[in-house]
Amino acid sequence: MPTKVAYQAKINYIQILNEQGKLDEKLSRGGLKDNDVIRLYEMMSLCRHYDEIAFKLQRSGRMGTYPQNKGQEAIGAVALAAQPDDWLVPCYRENTALFLHGLPMEHILLHWMGDERGNQIPDGVNVTPISIPIGTHMLHAAGIAWAQKLQGNDTAVFTFFGDGATSEGDFHEAMNFATVLKVPAVFICQNNKWAISTPGSKQSAAETFAQKGLAYGAHTIQIDGNDIFAVYKAAKDARAKALKDGKPTLIETLTYRLGDHTTADDARRYRDNAEVEEWLDRDPLIRTRKYLESKGLWDDAKQEAFDEDAKAKVSQIVKNAEGIAKPTTNDIFDYTYETLPEDLKRQRDTMKTHSLGINPQQETLRSPTGAASRV
Amino acid sequence: MAHQTSSDPNVFILPDLGEGVHEAELIKWRVSVGDSVAEHDILAEMETDKALVEVPSPRDGVIAVLHGSEGEILNVGNPLITYEGGAAAAPAPAPAQATATPSPSDNGSAATATEEREDAGTVVGSLSATPGVSGSSGKALATPAVRRLARDLGVDIDNVRGTGLAGRVTEKDVRAAGSGSQPAPSAQPAQRIAPAPAAQAEAPAHVQHVVAEEVENAALAVKVASGGVPAPPPAMAGDKTVPFRGTRRTIAGRLRQSIDTAVHFTVMDEAEISSLDKVRKQVQAASGESVSYLPFVVSAVCRAMKRFPTLNATVNDEAQEIRQHAGVNMGIATDTEHGLSVPVIPNADTLGLLEVARHIADLARMTRERSIPRDRLMGSTFTISNVGSYAGRFATPVINYPEVAILAVGRAREGVVADNGAIRVGKLLPLSLACDHRVVDGAEAARCLAFVVELLQAPESLLTPARA
Repeated sequence: MPTKVAYQAKINYIQILNEQGKLDEKLSRGGLKDNDVIRLYEMMSLCRHYDEIAFKLQRSGRMGTYPQNKGQEAIGAVALAAQPDDWLVPCYRENTALFLHGLPMEHILLHWMGDERGNQIPDGVNVTPISIPIGTHMLHAAGIAWAQKLQGNDTAVFTFFGDGATSEGDFHEAMNFATVLKVPAVFICQNNKWAISTPGSKQSAAETFAQKGLAYGAHTIQIDGNDIFAVYKAAKDARAKALKDGKPTLIETLTYRLGDHTTADDARRYRDNAEVEEWLDRDPLIRTRKYLESKGLWDDAKQEAFDEDAKAKVSQIVKNAEGIAKPTTNDIFDYTYETLPEDLKRQRDTMKTHSLGINPQQETLRSPTGAASRV
Repeated sequence: MAHQTSSDPNVFILPDLGEGVHEAELIKWRVSVGDSVAEHDILAEMETDKALVEVPSPRDGVIAVLHGSEGEILNVGNPLITYEGGAAAAPAPAPAQATATPSPSDNGSAATATEEREDAGTVVGSLSATPGVSGSSGKALATPAVRRLARDLGVDIDNVRGTGLAGRVTEKDVRAAGSGSQPAPSAQPAQRIAPAPAAQAEAPAHVQHVVAEEVENAALAVKVASGGVPAPPPAMAGDKTVPFRGTRRTIAGRLRQSIDTAVHFTVMDEAEISSLDKVRKQVQAASGESVSYLPFVVSAVCRAMKRFPTLNATVNDEAQEIRQHAGVNMGIATDTEHGLSVPVIPNADTLGLLEVARHIADLARMTRERSIPRDRLMGSTFTISNVGSYAGRFATPVINYPEVAILAVGRAREGVVADNGAIRVGKLLPLSLACDHRVVDGAEAARCLAFVVELLQAPESLLTPARA
């Protein structure tokens, strides 16, 4: 029997705004408008300040571990491709996207300060809490997208994860569910080259992470992840396709983590400086600014004023986060049940007494003298 | 985890600089007493077991006290800086108070602090900063398990100085208190804790466990005292205890691994370098650069590695493989104030003599300044240790494992040379080549060293790269 080709595919790669800030006119058609670019650039710059201050908060004991976003800010363009009702299901290096989608900036700081109220997302902001365990949230994204489909909503779900997460079983399960059930999900793999200290070469033998999508029957594409135009276009196209034919897309963004993995890491121990230097030249902020300057939309004076303002803004955000009233133990009871079950109600009402959780009547029966007796 | 803050807003407590970091070495103060600092200004450089980090100021202020000196290991939870305006003009006592007594200026917050504490039911106690001094009101901060241990050992936990996070009393503290603060390696602990058999039978399970462990420790102590490791000399006035850690610890680990793995032997010889010295001076005069003997030795070794590739190799003991390297990455063992360091000249065999000299100068500078890139501290295939720049003639150097050979270069000196039946004064450079006998045979090492000597005695050949 002659051999037949059972399946054949290719992975496209796109870059629209190159490292020099030059735009591919054809590919950029129908893409980001000037105002969008300014909005994105300002958020990216603001987040760079935010990132630096968050790092220092950790180092001075004011915050727990923090993963810097530095270098990956272009991912914010996804938020511009999303509709307000769309869901963002993030990992932890998507601050720009979350803030542009409406998450108040205090929330991320609160989260890393160990305050669960950082994860209490305001109504109307369709963002889930950032996910520290690797890959677990991709399943949530598939589920949320399925719910959208069942409810007949015209909304899509964007989920974000790193190159390392593709080695998790959850990635496989989420991709499989999403594609088999034809749900409006978009999977965005931020390939920043390093999963803490594991380089991409030790993560996967595949030439691209994007090709993993083929195995599940998803659309798939690889893009320059430091190019806001490419990120925007890929996200927008993926959204349209997901809603039209119910076929999710796996987008692999080629980007780079310019900072350490987290404040508990020192990347100098395992990463060559030459590699970092090389990626510093591809910084998304630099090329976006070059582009804006070439169109006369930005200049040094604007930058200076912006930086000044950004510092004040971040300072205020820190104040807001640190100034939040201390949580009360009632919080333990308030956020799980809509109507609190009787036994929990009793625990809540008695938690500050010596007879925690004990029905006062039983207490009397057991100990008529009223002496303390605990179970 | 909640971060730690001091009850005194003028005291900045050393935070956990990473994740689960308990201590850090103070590398360098970046501020001095009297300096005004702004929030986020860098106060100090500190090294944790994971990283060299900068510690920023949490607030604006004027520095009143620096708690600790450079090179000191500081515990997380103890004061790092006191700003002016603080009650503590003198260094605050360590460890920091977990729930310190509020100062009068706190305006009645003492009462509210107790009342409002939502965790009132779960907090086990608080620590008195100076146990036994501040009176019986001080309650130790400790986990229930440690409290229980203290009860079982008959230790008053409130009088134990806690060394844990925020002054928590740890299991170790209780055990130390139970055995007297300086547990000497003697059989005494065994006598102290070994209960009468009857008592042991009645003791609850966990106590038995504790006892078993103590007995084991005591047994170990007896063994040590009876000749396992010699007892250290008695303490002398002016003794200095240096923590065995950081770079020193890393060096120790590497050397231990080398000695435990490689089978060392050393061959020694001297090269007569009178003519090399002449060539060296000519090169210096022609180039206007300062050139030592070392580049000549590097050049000679690179040539020798071509002829004796067994010595230009690394061992992968796990994979049971010996890899002979096509090129020579020359490690130069360098003495720095932070300890031994081995910066590397990559592809040294492709460099001319002057290039090697410049590389060596660059490496020395970068190593001293600690600015050397990580990739220049690894990947060597052979190492030269230039002990002679200090003193000494021959040495038995320790191989830079997983390499298989190392050459120690001694101090060049004038010496009597027998030359064709005549006696003259020449210049002698002592060379000691240590090899891993598992990989290199003795004859091979001797031939290699003889070849190096031969090359050093015909120095014109050393000016060009060993490999094109």
